[in-house]
Amino acid sequence: MDKKKMYSNWFLVPALTLFTIFFILPMIISFFFSMTVWNFTDFKFVGFDNFKLFFSENSLNIGIKNTLLYAVLTCGLKVVLALLIAVFLTSGIKSKNILRSVVFFPNLVSTIAIGVTFKALMHPSKGLINKVLEFVGIPGADWLGNTKLALFSIIGTDVWKGVSIATVIYIAGIQSIDRVYYEAASIDGANGWKRFWNVTIPLCRPAMNSVILLAFIGGLRSFDLIWAMTGGGPGFATDVMASIVYKQYAAGFYGLSTAGNVIMFLLIAVLAFPLQKYLLSREVD
Amino acid sequence: MKKKKKCILLGDVFGILGVFLIFVIPFIFMIANSLKERREANLLSIEFPEMPMFSNYLEVFKANNYILITAFKNSALVTAGSVFLMILTCSMAGHVLSRRKDRLTGCINMVVLSGLMVPPAIMPTIWLMQGLHIYKTMHGMILIEVALQIPFTILLYRGFMATIPVEMEEAGYMDGCSRLKMFSRIVFPLLKPVTATVIILNAVTVFNDFTNPLYFLPGTKNATVQLTLYNFMGQYSSSYNLLFADVIIITVPMLILFIIFNKKIVDGMVAGAVKG
Amino acid sequence: MKFNKILVLLLTLLLVAGNLSGCSGSKETKSSGKTDQEDRATVTEGETETAAGEASSDSKWEYKEATLTLLTDGEVSLAGLEAVLALAKEKLGITVEVEQRAGGADGDNIVKTRLASGDMADLCIYNAGSLLTALNPSEYFLDLSNEDWIARLDDTFKGAVTIDNAAYGIPMASSQAGGVFYSKAIYKELGLKVPKTWEEFIANCDAIKAAGKTAILGTFSDSWTAQVLFLGDYYNVAAQDPNFAKDFEAGKTKYATNEAGLSSWKKLAETKEYYNEDCLATTYDDGCDIMANGEAGHWIMLTQALSNIYELYGDQVNGIGVFAIPGDDPANQGLTIWMPQAIYGNKNTDKTEDILRFMEFYVSDEALDAYAGSVLPDGPYCIKDYELPDTAYDAVKNDMQPYFNDGRVISALEFITPVKGPGCLAISQACVTGQTTAEESAADYDADCLKQAVQLGLNWE
Repeated sequence: MDKKKMYSNWFLVPALTLFTIFFILPMIISFFFSMTVWNFTDFKFVGFDNFKLFFSENSLNIGIKNTLLYAVLTCGLKVVLALLIAVFLTSGIKSKNILRSVVFFPNLVSTIAIGVTFKALMHPSKGLINKVLEFVGIPGADWLGNTKLALFSIIGTDVWKGVSIATVIYIAGIQSIDRVYYEAASIDGANGWKRFWNVTIPLCRPAMNSVILLAFIGGLRSFDLIWAMTGGGPGFATDVMASIVYKQYAAGFYGLSTAGNVIMFLLIAVLAFPLQKYLLSREVD
Repeated sequence: MKKKKKCILLGDVFGILGVFLIFVIPFIFMIANSLKERREANLLSIEFPEMPMFSNYLEVFKANNYILITAFKNSALVTAGSVFLMILTCSMAGHVLSRRKDRLTGCINMVVLSGLMVPPAIMPTIWLMQGLHIYKTMHGMILIEVALQIPFTILLYRGFMATIPVEMEEAGYMDGCSRLKMFSRIVFPLLKPVTATVIILNAVTVFNDFTNPLYFLPGTKNATVQLTLYNFMGQYSSSYNLLFADVIIITVPMLILFIIFNKKIVDGMVAGAVKG
Repeated sequence: MKFNKILVLLLTLLLVAGNLSGCSGSKETKSSGKTDQEDRATVTEGETETAAGEASSDSKWEYKEATLTLLTDGEVSLAGLEAVLALAKEKLGITVEVEQRAGGADGDNIVKTRLASGDMADLCIYNAGSLLTALNPSEYFLDLSNEDWIARLDDTFKGAVTIDNAAYGIPMASSQAGGVFYSKAIYKELGLKVPKTWEEFIANCDAIKAAGKTAILGTFSDSWTAQVLFLGDYYNVAAQDPNFAKDFEAGKTKYATNEAGLSSWKKLAETKEYYNEDCLATTYDDGCDIMANGEAGHWIMLTQALSNIYELYGDQVNGIGVFAIPGDDPANQGLTIWMPQAIYGNKNTDKTEDILRFMEFYVSDEALDAYAGSVLPDGPYCIKDYELPDTAYDAVKNDMQPYFNDGRVISALEFITPVKGPGCLAISQACVTGQTTAEESAADYDADCLKQAVQLGLNWE
């Protein structure tokens, strides 16, 4: 059967046109503007000065470190926690349908709204979290004010919000595993733990790979939640690449901000493409 | 067998308790505080007020000349328009990308994947939109949202296509069905589960999007619901009751959408993201 | 029928009268959205009567109906503005629709984007000084330098809204100062005296801390509040090095290397142990509550907070005193003052005439009276020969006015040079919370200013 005749290239045109005009083209243009001092009406070409300026900045170091920490931790936690939740929600429990819905709830609330709520919950003197801790006799903490803790508090909130999508993907993956494998394993005398380790995990690897990739990329790009909860502060303690770029933009340094964007997508490309290759290669085995 | 039943019951109890603690309490907190008087709400406790003040909700609606109603209209338009376009363009593209494996589609797959990874270049996009005279217009915003969600949506459709047997299309082709007809009559109906997933996930993303309207759709007439919340944060930084009332109001539409499509989400994902 | 008409007329007049008194007495700006709308509705009803009455008695203002839009941030107290707007509607026939935007960095962003996209309101309330320069105003705002009434503007203020000989804005409110608020009750209780030097100030802080109270209130959840100490210390910098502003703009001196400049950052670093424990979760609004209730010894803040406190707590505001951020010389303690936000007119509309009409009215004595009748000033007005009202807050009348009388005042640096690093708030926040040392912060701020200099096209290095 002639695939070329059966599946026309024209079907690709609408999606690709939109994607090219509004995504690829601006990306290419950004390489030019990243080398200018730009105020939207005029620009002046300055070569690599913007990049030099960017790299000379103290906060960039913190930003890159935080971005990586944020991506790795949110991704890791989502991969593990979502798997456990998914296994639990695909087991024989009766309340699984309602629980599935409830777990999905946080995903329906906007990031900004979640930021407002958790900022209130984490208030050092009035917040519910510290009140509860106090009640059981554990000293509370200044969740968002302590510079060593703030980023982790945001990471926790991010996981709370994002674990649902990962869980849904896992559930889909687990449900598509043929029952035959479990039956075979049971006949071989495998207990619950062994079945989980030897059947569930290997067979939902594609799902796991999707989760890893989506969560990791999402983590590298995240901005909304951090902005709503701390605005990058205290000081620069929770600044990530995206918030630094945004701050330059808000200050009106459009050329500099675009340069930051270029650095950011180079960084993400350098990390994400090899990761994807690696995950795919393991999937084939 | 009896032991297993006990185990499951224990799981039920445990699960409900855990989920309640972690996922439900923040929502109760929001609702409780949205019904309090300003000073009481600022204490940030979780107790329900003795006299619930539903007037907070009315006040939120009235604020800034009923901006919230305009914002709802705008958000609904952007969400509906962009999700519709995403379904249209990405189902077609995903269909072809899944069925054909040659150099061209390989290339396109790569480009689409890169779109999932690299962040959009914001300033040049604005510059480009100004050139096209669609900056700060509703249709401009819709096109941007579509472009940004295309990679993820194509991924879902392409993955799901792989689970649909190719025989029906071949039969249709033999019968002399045109390609458009084959797609719209045979293939698209089979994509229903994944389309449901696409609708809920993308609608939530677009409706809850804050960053992109902030950049691409400035101006009060163009306010979206997330931007109203953001402005409220500046304006009512010490009126948690109004802030939470706004949060609840703008979450309800997505909750309704979720209740409609709830059962379908996992079905569409089955092959969609898993085989991506 | 006739009887009905008279009744309606009487009722309308009653409504108008009620509305006017209600307006000037209104202290609830927080929830003013509602009252404002009611006001507007009643004004419309009584409009024709009032207008006819005014036209005969007072022909100074031309009455012509028009509608203007105005964009402002939500952080300034709007009661005064609203009082003037109500009067403008009555006298000029100009209805002004107020639209609020976010403040801080996001507000800057909104203003810049709306200007660039041609979506600015007819009138725009925005900072004078360095931030104005960054807007590229000649493209967007009306040049007012040829209007005769511009001569009424105070020269310092005019300087802060003038770029290349074109003046763009009129003062929206009174000027204000960055100083140290102190609780008179706590000072009395502990027998403290208003400090004349930084050392005495720190000694007072120690005493308050030892008494188990918050020595300095930190409200750094709103990160801009962290920079007030740094910016408000400029009087002391200039006292030590009179050429600082000029050299700094020229790139010849840096905070990290200039003794006078560095001492400001040292002060920030020194205060870190005196703040309340939840200072990073406390907001500006919380701060107003706390100071009004005398729960903290000091708060380093802009005096605009006096109005916010007055709106919520009335006369409790007089329990607060203000002194200038102290330096080293007890004989030369001076106040750093902030120019008010300015109202700018959009150049690219067809309403230029109405905008100018409105602006001329806004700086008239009549409008200022209305303003002062609603919100008391946080410092002197930027209009020549317009005196502070007798009802002014004690802190303004007794504590601040002497500095003005003796000429011991200076504009904050951002009104003198366009170079102000946008990261100032975060850098200050990092410094007062002890994340960075004074030297590191100074260097960070220099690097931040370099970016602004590059954007402005200044030739540093």
